[in-house]
Amino acid sequence: MQRFASMQRAKGPAGLLVVPAALFLSFATRADAPFIENGRAGFVVSDIKYALADDAEKTGACPQGMSRNVEEIFALTAEGRRRKGESDEAYARRLNDGGKKLSTAPDGQNVCMNPEAAAPDPNFRTLRSTSIPIDGIDIDGVDSRADASTPQSCPHQDAVGKQGQRGVDNQFARVVGCSRSYQSTGQSNGYAIEMLTGAWGILISLDGVDDIRNDDSVEVGIHANADPIQLSPARVPLPYATYAMDQDPRFRAKTRGRIEDGVLTTEPVDVRFHTITNSLHMERAMNHARLQVTIAQDGSLSGYLAGYTPVETMYDYQFGYRNGKNAKGEPGPLPLRLGTGNGAARVLGYTCPGAYYALYDYADGDPDANGRCTSISTQYRIAAIPAFVVDVATGSVNDRLVDKAPAKQ
Amino acid sequence: MSPIDARIAGHAPSLVLPRKRGRGTGALLLALGLLSGCGDSLREPDAVGGPAVMRRLTEAEYRTTIAAIFGPDITIPARFERGLRAEGLVAVGTSEAGMSPFSVEQYDAAALGIAAAVIDEKNRDRLVPCRPAANAAFDAACARRVVDEYGPLLFRRPLTEEESAGFVKRAQSGQERLGDFYAGVELALAGMMVSPEFLLRIERTKPVTDADEPRELDAWSKATRLSYFLTNSAPDRELLRAAGADELDTKKGLQRQVDRLIASPLFEPAVRAFFDDMLQFDKFGDLAKDSVVYPAFNSTVAADAKEQTLRTITDLLIEQEGDYRDLFTTRAAHLTRALGIVYRVPVPTRNGWEKSVFPESSHRAGIQSHVAFLALYSHPGQSSPTLRGKAMRELFLCQEVPDPPPNVNFSVIQEVNAGMPTARDRLEVHRTNPSCAGCHKIMDPLGLTLENYDGLGTYRTTENEARIDPSGSLDGIDFTTPEGLGQALHDHPETPRCLVEKIYRYAVGRDTEMEERPYMDYLNKAFATHDFRVPDLMRTIALSENFFAISPPAAEARHELAQVALQSGDRS
Repeated sequence: MQRFASMQRAKGPAGLLVVPAALFLSFATRADAPFIENGRAGFVVSDIKYALADDAEKTGACPQGMSRNVEEIFALTAEGRRRKGESDEAYARRLNDGGKKLSTAPDGQNVCMNPEAAAPDPNFRTLRSTSIPIDGIDIDGVDSRADASTPQSCPHQDAVGKQGQRGVDNQFARVVGCSRSYQSTGQSNGYAIEMLTGAWGILISLDGVDDIRNDDSVEVGIHANADPIQLSPARVPLPYATYAMDQDPRFRAKTRGRIEDGVLTTEPVDVRFHTITNSLHMERAMNHARLQVTIAQDGSLSGYLAGYTPVETMYDYQFGYRNGKNAKGEPGPLPLRLGTGNGAARVLGYTCPGAYYALYDYADGDPDANGRCTSISTQYRIAAIPAFVVDVATGSVNDRLVDKAPAKQ
Repeated sequence: MSPIDARIAGHAPSLVLPRKRGRGTGALLLALGLLSGCGDSLREPDAVGGPAVMRRLTEAEYRTTIAAIFGPDITIPARFERGLRAEGLVAVGTSEAGMSPFSVEQYDAAALGIAAAVIDEKNRDRLVPCRPAANAAFDAACARRVVDEYGPLLFRRPLTEEESAGFVKRAQSGQERLGDFYAGVELALAGMMVSPEFLLRIERTKPVTDADEPRELDAWSKATRLSYFLTNSAPDRELLRAAGADELDTKKGLQRQVDRLIASPLFEPAVRAFFDDMLQFDKFGDLAKDSVVYPAFNSTVAADAKEQTLRTITDLLIEQEGDYRDLFTTRAAHLTRALGIVYRVPVPTRNGWEKSVFPESSHRAGIQSHVAFLALYSHPGQSSPTLRGKAMRELFLCQEVPDPPPNVNFSVIQEVNAGMPTARDRLEVHRTNPSCAGCHKIMDPLGLTLENYDGLGTYRTTENEARIDPSGSLDGIDFTTPEGLGQALHDHPETPRCLVEKIYRYAVGRDTEMEERPYMDYLNKAFATHDFRVPDLMRTIALSENFFAISPPAAEARHELAQVALQSGDRS
């Protein structure tokens, strides 16, 4: 028989040290903060979306209009105009063909798989105004200006927050600010639905909490979730479920933080999560990420997870899907990757090269040896609810049944 | 000739018709019985028995029986009618309920489905003991082998020559009409499984010379009682062999079989089946919760909650050979991830069950603090101290609480307003109403102590932002926590007595008779002597003469008269 209290230093089946999880030693209830016990608390992210500006239609952020996809761009050309008497079906076919041509670089490569092979897209629109508020927090502690750079950054203008705060680092919001799928009614900010299907998830753990309202030093874990999120019949995430941390160290991060008046703010740390689109497995990573969340009395968290996403990584999981993998970690089927990247660009209203170059144009973190920034400030609005975060072996009992043969390309 | 076959020649059962319901009232006999119980505390008093009963197989018994005979992979394509509960047990209701046309249809469908599966080509080699000489021609010898193979297992006794010949003839008729030997065999097997001899546990006694003396069940009925009591299934071949060899009529032979059955893997499911019945877990089929109020509730939680309590019971009582009363104080925690959400405890095991211990600070102690009990005895949208209190009285203490009067205004206790934020506040209205107070004073002090658990079973300290006062009492014992209630149940003298009463009723499929009080006293003493170990109690019952005794016809007649006089309303 296994006592909860005795699990702390047990070896897991894989020989890994089973670290005590949040809320593990005992679960006596405290009326004021039932989610925290013995200085520990755990949480599972229950909602996540990019922190962005308000809709361009409302703010007037895109005076040149919104970004266009390849068919729409083709339609602007003389060749792409509708011919007299041309049927809807024939015109649609011609637009499709024209779009395909635009999706192919001069060297014959597909531009979603190889965006650098194409020229920048002049039809890709971004949020250039510096006066329009953008949601988020000051990640680097500097209110950057466009005419100045620091060793850790490239010249860029920090945004003003929705509450008027200065120094908001959220260049990604500028990149997608004039893309229709990133407006409030668009589809690109609804990826949390994949999380709610159990495809991936994010866990947060606190250790060494003396006072949940004010504590100058707590240990904070930010990990990928190895278990599917537990939902009610109405598909609402349930509090106090148990989740295992991902066993891959790349998907586990630890940092320190402080709590002031119920607001937890962490030191920067590199984080990495899973994300899945169209059955393609990818990684959602951020460098120097900070957590700034308000801790409510019921143990729920709300606030920001913000950091710097490597541009190539951001392009992969958000636009191009170049390196999407199958469940076995092998490159996903090429037709699926091609179809996903090109299909998403058409449906969601942008071009792959347009997004790729814009990401680099607005990149504001991790300059390389040549001074070119390689990551872009990215902010997520998150909500989290109490959970038990445990560190146990997560191998599937069905692992032995997995076909070890490489997938067909 | 097998021992079973050997018995056929001498098999002259005296069929005892079941009585509908009875309650002994012989005061003189009671007094004599009590006196007889004053002697050797562990000596069984003279057997008096009770009326023979004819019990319909419960759904669980039907399923385990089919699985035992044909294998667990044989599906049973039928929906079973809900069992009638009498004296708190479906096991007793099975001797009182009739059989509706719907049931007969379902039994027919099940029998045909099972028989078809048995003769199916993929199962045929394993389950049909012979091959016909030619499929198109009837092979009487092979058909007879099939009947001989399964007839005794299904009827729980050897078939008479007439019965065997009848089923062989049915197989032949089927073969002739359908042109296929196996189709004929299928019809013969299905015929056995819709026979009352299979569907009903018909108890027969040995021939008697003195009509005023208690009778003794015949060997096959003994085997059947033993088997369903200790394995929840039909007698296996070894038990039928022992019955055929008259071994169940000797102490040594009976003991050998009882010990064999208790040591078998089927004993644990049998104990489960009893507690499933005693705790009225069939109600899980109707359990519903408002998903807005209790979003963590779903069918997985319901199934796991039921399983959790049953695992706790069998682990404590069988694996640990523990004291039955400890079920009300145990902190053993059998958990799944789904249950962990409701209990708000971590469950590291990702799939399946995790065995651990609730810490003292968890406020969980005893099966009455399990989600199964708390959720089952609550309303869909809120807890119910009254339902919980009533259930504890009836399930654990065998104290009957009358139904509420017809003119009760329930809206008073369902309405939550600022003046009555907690259930204690709302129930005060009932406790001060004379027509309600009598019963509520019995139920509420227990149930209010469980108000620290909401209608699903999650621990709470407040209701509608008002602090919950969990203080309560049980028959003079006061407590202020759910743990205190568990200890009071543990220490209550009626707790083990109630278990003895229920498990004996379950074993014999009827209420206890007044004349059996000395025997019940004997069981109670034996239970205490054996440190309240349930397997020992079941062994004591199974080895007792009274377990196999049937009251004499004269007493039966008295029971019938008493039954007519006493019968009033539903006693469930």
